[in-house]
Amino acid sequence: MQIILSQLQRELPTAGLTQAQALERLPMLGFPIDGVATVEGETVLDVDVTANRPDVMSHRGLARDLAATLGAELAALPTTTLGGAPQREIRLETPACPTYSTAVLTLGATQATPADVQTFLRALGMTPKGLAAVDASNELLHRYGHPTHAFDADKLQGAIRVRFAQAGETLVTLDGVDRKLTPEDLIIADDSGPIAFAGVMGGESTKVTETTRTVLLESAWFDPKVVRPMARRHNLHTDGSHRFGRGADPVMAAVVRDLLAQRLIEWAGATVLSAWTVGAVPARAAAITLPLTQLNRIAGETVDAAEAETLLARLGCEVSRSATTVTAVPPTWRHDLTLPEDLAEEVLRLRGYDRIGSSLPAVDADPEPLSPSYRTAASLSRRLAHLGFFQTVTYGFIGPDEDAAFAAAGNPAEGRALGNPLGLEYSVMRASLLPSLKATALHNRRQGQKEVRLFEIAPAYPAGLEGKPSVALVWGGLRGGEDHLTASRAVLAADLRGVAQSLGFGSAPIQDLGDGLLGVEVALDTLAAPPERIIPRFQGFSRFPAVERDLSLVVDLGKPFGDLAAAMGGVLPQPELQHLGVVDVYRGKGMAPGKQALLVRFRFQHASRTLTSEEVEGWVQSALKAAEGVGATLRA
Amino acid sequence: MEPQLELLPPEILEAQSAFAERLSACADLDALLRMKGAYVGREGSHAARLMELLKTAPKEQKRDLGAAINALKNAWEEALKTRQAELEATKKAIPAEDATLPPPRPPEGALHPLQRLMDRLVEAFRPLGYHVEEGPEVETEEHNFDGLNIPADHPARGSSDTFYFSARPDLLLRTHTSPVQVRVLKRYGTKNAAGVSLLEEKGGLRFLAPGRVYRKDEIDPTHSPMFHQVEGMLVAKGIGMQHLKGTLAYAMKALFGPGADVRFRPSYFPFVEPGCEMDVRCPLCGGSGCRVCKGSGWVEILGAGLIHPKVLEHAGIDPTVWSGFAFGMGVERTAMMVSQSPDLRLFFENDQRFLAQMGGLD
Repeated sequence: MQIILSQLQRELPTAGLTQAQALERLPMLGFPIDGVATVEGETVLDVDVTANRPDVMSHRGLARDLAATLGAELAALPTTTLGGAPQREIRLETPACPTYSTAVLTLGATQATPADVQTFLRALGMTPKGLAAVDASNELLHRYGHPTHAFDADKLQGAIRVRFAQAGETLVTLDGVDRKLTPEDLIIADDSGPIAFAGVMGGESTKVTETTRTVLLESAWFDPKVVRPMARRHNLHTDGSHRFGRGADPVMAAVVRDLLAQRLIEWAGATVLSAWTVGAVPARAAAITLPLTQLNRIAGETVDAAEAETLLARLGCEVSRSATTVTAVPPTWRHDLTLPEDLAEEVLRLRGYDRIGSSLPAVDADPEPLSPSYRTAASLSRRLAHLGFFQTVTYGFIGPDEDAAFAAAGNPAEGRALGNPLGLEYSVMRASLLPSLKATALHNRRQGQKEVRLFEIAPAYPAGLEGKPSVALVWGGLRGGEDHLTASRAVLAADLRGVAQSLGFGSAPIQDLGDGLLGVEVALDTLAAPPERIIPRFQGFSRFPAVERDLSLVVDLGKPFGDLAAAMGGVLPQPELQHLGVVDVYRGKGMAPGKQALLVRFRFQHASRTLTSEEVEGWVQSALKAAEGVGATLRA
Repeated sequence: MEPQLELLPPEILEAQSAFAERLSACADLDALLRMKGAYVGREGSHAARLMELLKTAPKEQKRDLGAAINALKNAWEEALKTRQAELEATKKAIPAEDATLPPPRPPEGALHPLQRLMDRLVEAFRPLGYHVEEGPEVETEEHNFDGLNIPADHPARGSSDTFYFSARPDLLLRTHTSPVQVRVLKRYGTKNAAGVSLLEEKGGLRFLAPGRVYRKDEIDPTHSPMFHQVEGMLVAKGIGMQHLKGTLAYAMKALFGPGADVRFRPSYFPFVEPGCEMDVRCPLCGGSGCRVCKGSGWVEILGAGLIHPKVLEHAGIDPTVWSGFAFGMGVERTAMMVSQSPDLRLFFENDQRFLAQMGGLD
């Protein structure tokens, strides 16, 4: 919201408010300044006002809050007393418009908007129209916060009715758009049908122009619960809908009608034929009682009751105080005050949050442990980073085509699709993290990365919309080759399998993602959580020497080592067999076609004694026999 | 005392006379270790033989012989030690290879900067007794809006602000981490068979909820349809604004360092009353005013407030007995401010160069 500093100062004639004070005070009142500009020679503040405070969406409204905190006087409102008999029937057919102040005036031969008002409007980014009724209405809205409207009275037909629209009715609004109305739309109508959106925008058919001779003013109060959805429904966000849609001050309806008429008298030589009000201002809000104990609890410290009373009174509340409570009737412009907590906030806000002390609460509750899932993710991400992987963060939604390649048959994209996505490429909650990692890997490759090592920990959606926290790794490109001791070679599935196995991913398959990229993904709940003990329970280990033996076996190419290992492991003693692995695979010169040599390594260890070479030799021989049983031969 | 060498057998005397020469002949540590084994090793060495000799020596000789053996052994050990130090020094001085050649280096990965920042926050709050709660990205309107006192006609609920699912219009992508508040409060507010709630049983509740959230914003240098928040909440008895201020000031010092200065401004969120925003003294200019803080010297870092009584009531918790505060911090916003990154999209592009630079390892 744009606020002209000099006009703000005008509403606070005795406060001596400087620019520096305004910039300091307003944020501390809850109205941060987003920028300061000079427009038309005026200092204009861009003030951020939260949606709950329509009452400060004007120069006077903001000044009123400043006056309350500063203890300063507000400028008196100019008063004009108009009256007269109704000139036209006005029917309020719904409680959504309880009061409607109007006036009918004939305009003089010439009209001119005063230079200072033109500057006011321009400084706020508006263009003066030179039509007194329009410019005055705009000026009053920004000065006092109450939206008004002027109809060309000669274009009106019959009685004015404030009612909800009927299905099928249409209205051409001032912006030239022909709008279809719904029964939820609150409108102003005459015998011709709808002529304005109540509180949002006037209609084209009855608008004021250069040729207008007679005007009918509208200064009413419309229910925010009706105006706000209406503005949203028609995407019509106007200064009027902004204020009525959040809650205007009903008492200001008649006051601003008078001010508007007064301006037309002064700027356009107008003559008031009559001014009258239909309906009545809604009853004031109920009194709210704030126990002082509650005020003190909310502050966390003792707040002076007399000060609380004074501050609420300065806000315009009718306040009374007992020994234990403060009771306040909120002013007509504060629809946001309904609970004792609201009053407490106002007291603390005006008093200044900086005056509240600062202390840590004493909470007599035992600390709770971190959950296994959190600890799993935390330790896994650290582990992976130390293993050389880069953690990525990618969007949870992807395109249906990318998703399809990784989604199970029983998990159709339709079940995970957004109804209102930003675009097709962001429309499906991903079944797997791998497509996102693949895209990220390809980006990095295009950026010249020889080796890409990525992981992400995030929810995947492998079965409908139930998010499953998962971890995925993608590794690809060339590894090594950066020093004289490590040769460069392509990243192989075995590399990723080794990492996956060391992380406890079990038998999760290594997936070939194409483009030289390999991936693996598991759900976090399939991983063992890090132990909750600070350090694990002790388990004995053998202090006797381990014995290693190698056996070179020739097997058919394509014969899985797993078969050999199972056969040999089956005949070797447990737990003496500590390790059974392959330390070399030879497929080079000297091998018969279709054969390969595996250098198998065994490690044996006894829990309570040193092994003898005879027993180890016996085991190796039995392993050899078992291997021969599945087609291996001892390499000569 | 001079060792009484005459008590010792001839082969020992021979060994002793050759000792000095053999010691200097040890050209490397291996040779020295072998010699050490021969002279003072546990088994089979000259010293071991002497100890056996001592066992069988006549009683009247034992004292003198023992002294002689000890003296000799000590002298040998001392000399071996000195020589070992010499050899080790020599070994270091001889370059085994060109140390300026780039050595093989273990690969370096990194945590994502957003993860690091969230971890740091958790770290800051752990000493205050906070644990971590998690919640799903796909949420209900009840958890995301109703339970947080966000009215049915609030614009944030519209399909222009919030992502909804076509097959399940009752579900949405959470727009903030605050639905975790509703979930946890309900869990703590539910009474067990004995009529006691978890909150009553434990006497209080403190948690952080870091996580991913979604809003329907177009992707540009300062907007992203997905971002992260860290929610925090404390519920106990007699909690007021003073405690909120104290807790957040403490946490910011843990996060930004002991000099971190904060201020609290009134603000409005439907799920707190009173509500506030917290600014930190601009980390870039230190408060003198710059581009980052738009000249104000302060940067907004989070929104907070005392939990609205309706939020507690929704979860079945009596607001006349229990009170507390909640806060929510935008992770990207803070990460961008602290790192002075020019573009939010960098955090989701995941370029390894960016990650290596920003992430590091904790």
